[in-house]
Order: sequence, then structure tokens, then C-alpha cells
Amino acid sequence: MPGRDGALNPNPEAALSAALRALPDAAPQPDLWPALARELAPPRRRLRRALPAALAAGVALALALAYRAVPRGDAPAAAAPAAIAAAPSSELDRLQLRSQALEHRIAGLAQTPQEGRDLMAAVEIEDLIGLVDVQLDAARGDDDALPLWRQRVALLEDLATIRGGAYALAVAEPRDAGLVPAAPHRMN
Amino acid sequence: MSAPRCGHVRTSAPRRENACDEIARTRIRPFVSAASFRIEVPETTLARARRGDLGALEQIYRLFERPAYTLALRMLGDAEAARETVHDAMLRLLERIGQFRGDAPFWGWLRQIVVNEALMRLRRERSVVFEALPDDDGAPGAGPPPWALADAKQLERALERLPALTRSVLWLFHVEEYTHEEIAAMTGKSVSFSKSQVARGASRLRALLEPNEEDARCLAATAH
Repeated sequence: MPGRDGALNPNPEAALSAALRALPDAAPQPDLWPALARELAPPRRRLRRALPAALAAGVALALALAYRAVPRGDAPAAAAPAAIAAAPSSELDRLQLRSQALEHRIAGLAQTPQEGRDLMAAVEIEDLIGLVDVQLDAARGDDDALPLWRQRVALLEDLATIRGGAYALAVAEPRDAGLVPAAPHRMN
Repeated sequence: MSAPRCGHVRTSAPRRENACDEIARTRIRPFVSAASFRIEVPETTLARARRGDLGALEQIYRLFERPAYTLALRMLGDAEAARETVHDAMLRLLERIGQFRGDAPFWGWLRQIVVNEALMRLRRERSVVFEALPDDDGAPGAGPPPWALADAKQLERALERLPALTRSVLWLFHVEEYTHEEIAAMTGKSVSFSKSQVARGASRLRALLEPNEEDARCLAATAH
């Protein structure tokens, strides 16, 4: 590949690199630091922001379970998650329970020091989980939700593997036969 | 037909700057490096930041606020979206700084977070993501490429007219020096998609910046 930084290089590609780099930089206005300092200072808020994807997923899970419980009988909606947890009746239920279990496990591993590369991978996977959660919010029914829950569980398994090690995960949570493998996974 | 504006260049009388002056000036524009992420953070600052020292966290924020915001702004093309992206990325980074062990460049970690946040925002706006440039619409001519002659405002305006994903890929490749393989992995697309977006983005920029006939005459006049 031709060099990208040759200001004196007549190569158009290098000239484009040079021209783009010469564009002026910018700073956010108004200053972002006061808001960041407020969010970083109180320990309680720091803990609250430790796993935003997990929190969003928790809300999505609760809503999904409540939604599924209401049309099925006369039992109060609050009792539905426990009933489903006791006897998972479909792949969707199993995926949601597996997702919940993985989140608990990951939450317990979140403060473990990590290699820089693992940390980057973990952040990227959390981003992808957040994207799946956005799509789950917009899912119109089980048919839409099922592949998304598969993706979510696969991503959580990847995340748990990075955070805690594959061996620990395998011992603690034998994989459900109905679940997709925890192979590296990408949206789109 | 009126006389070309470039004729004014040769008069000695006081005059207002015109199009030919601008073209001549941009031809000798010095090369200035854009805000770069490649900033080393002192280990002492990192150590304080790991202990939750707010002053150290602010020092780190100040070091990177411009490159982070510039990258987000170039990718998203919207000041408020870029601001929110930098806020989220910085918060994520500073909250986890205790987990950073220093075995990889700190700036690389932050830059990756900013890119991920920006790409996630683009993915949410599906209409933007799937707007891609279909075919090359400009062919390289014999003269210097138009971006070598354009001033910053012109180039910024042309960039803003590219689809967001094309502009992001172009920026990540040319300025941040990500490889096509890395861009493909980050965007969830193929390597050939990344290559084609870089080529088509450049082609579209060329078409948007191509000087008109009058400017071409000015160039010819100032070259002699």
C-alpha cells in the first residue's frame, strides 16, 4: 500500500491523507468535564455505571418475561418469572435464563484486572450487547426476539470467557444443549 | 465574457483577496498534523487515576478531549452526537481505568472505545449506515488532486456531504491509519467493502472539489 503521509508525495492517496490530517481539530463545546466529574465522583454512581449493558438487559429481560406471562393465565405478572425459571418451556425461556445467569457471573468478575487486548475486546462485546438490547426493545414478537436472544447469550458467553476464563465458565455453567456456541460473534 | 479574476493577481494596487490568491495560498499550505491520539500518559498520572484521583482523571481527559472529539465529529458529522459519544466513551474509560494494566498503549484503548461508540451510534441509525456510495463518480485527472488545492473549509464541506459510513471508513483509513482488515472487523463488513468505500469516498470527494474552469485557468496562470 502506498504511504499515507507524504505531503510532498504526488500520490493522490497520500495527498488525501495529508489533507485530511491537516484539517483543524476541535473540542466539545460546552466543556464535558464538569458533567464527567460529577458522574465519576460519587462511588454509588460509579458502581451503578459499571455494567450499563447488563442493567439495560435486566430491564429488557423483566419486560420480556412480564409480557410473556400476562396472556397465559390468571397468575399475577410478578409471579411469572419464578414460574418460568422453575420450568423453562421453550428455547426462548432457556436463553433468557442463561442470559440472566451469565450476567450474574460477569458482574462478579467485572473488577478483575485484565490484559489491554482483553479489555478492548470486552468493551467491544459490551457495545454489541447494547446493540442487541436496542433491537430487542424493538422486537415485535418471539420470532423476532429468538435470534436476538441467541446472539445475546453468545456474546455474554464470549464476555464471560474473556473476563473469567473459559474453564471457570464451563465448570460453573454447563452449556445448555439448545444454545448457540460461544464462538466469536459479530452483529450484521 | 468577463475577464478572468486571476488577472488581478498581477496588479500591484491594493486589492481584496480573490479566488486566485486563495488557490495560490493553498498550494503552499504547510503540512500540519491533525489532533493525534498517540499521546503517552505519564505512569504517575495513570497510577493516581487508578486510585480514583479526580485531578488525574481530568488530566487524562484534557489530554484526549480534542482527538476524541475530532474523531467522533468526523465520523458522525454532527457536533451534538459527537459530544455525547465522547462523553460516553470517556466515562466508560475513566470508570475502568483501574483495570488497565499498561501492557498496551493507553491511547489505543481510548481510541477503540471512541470508534466503537461512534459506530454503535451509526448502527442505530440504520438509514445512515446503509447509505453507501454505489459507483465511482469521478475519475482522476492529469493535474494535482483537488484536495491538495482545497482549503480546510472546502474539504470539510465536501466531507460532510459523504454518507456517514463512507466518511467514517475514509477517516479511519487515511487519518487513524486502521487497516482495511481492522475496519472490516469493526464495522462487521468485508475487507473489500472497506476498500471500496475508501476508493469511492475519494472519488466522490474529487468530484465535489474539482475546480471549475475559471479556477483551472488561475492555476495555469500562477504555475508560470
